[in-house]
Amino acid sequence: MDAYFYIILVVGLISTGTCLLAGILKKAPNDVTILSVAAVEVALLVYLVGSIVRVIAGEPIAGEAWEFWGYLATAMLLPPAAVYWSILERTRWSNFVLAAVGVTALVMAARMNQIWY
Amino acid sequence: MKNQNSEAPAKGAAASATGAKNTRNTGPGRLLIAVYAVFAISATARAGYQILTKFSEAPLAYLLSAFAALVYVVATVSLAKPGSTWFKVSVAAVLVELVGVLVVGALSVFDSVQFPHETVWSLFGRGYGFIPLLLPILGLVWLYRRRPSLKA
Repeated sequence: MDAYFYIILVVGLISTGTCLLAGILKKAPNDVTILSVAAVEVALLVYLVGSIVRVIAGEPIAGEAWEFWGYLATAMLLPPAAVYWSILERTRWSNFVLAAVGVTALVMAARMNQIWY
Repeated sequence: MKNQNSEAPAKGAAASATGAKNTRNTGPGRLLIAVYAVFAISATARAGYQILTKFSEAPLAYLLSAFAALVYVVATVSLAKPGSTWFKVSVAAVLVELVGVLVVGALSVFDSVQFPHETVWSLFGRGYGFIPLLLPILGLVWLYRRRPSLKA
């Protein structure tokens, strides 16, 4: 597991925790929960840029390259999709949807690390 | 629950008289659909990958993967749609999913020779944090609470 994974681990867990707590407290999605999910997107963006740099620098991906990029691309679609959905219905349940983003990104980042090394 | 009730009149007024209540895509249903969507995407991608790259290794397991992916897609779409027909589709999809995870889970435990290769449902979905086992149960509970015959 590399630094990219740990960044997503920390950011993802904080985001999931924040959104879960907001959902449990019966709050609708607000700036804090939406920004925490945005932070997950930024963490994934860092992973993307870092990976592009590493590939250009000549570092090989041990597993299937297209599988790695597929995971990364899919993961990056999740935060915008969840935020869009949470804006459509502003109830506490949308916070649980937002909470799912962090852990899902975390699991996908773990898989991406496995593919890379 | 409180939130949902206070919102219902506004929604009912906005929607047409036919089946304003006959939906399963609000409140907890949204979370359910979101999780189903993630499984639909990941199961489809995984099954596609398995079938395209190493189908001959374990045709049965990978066909099962593809079938599981299809079930998740149908469940996601049907849960998001209003109306009694989509409700029935949802019930069928979720029941198939429940039977699938139980049968494949049991087979992968007792007959690991026939099922050595991973599918979403292997070992009752252990590779996915047992969410595949939990999901159809929550799905049935949600569908029951939002059954069309329920007059609200």
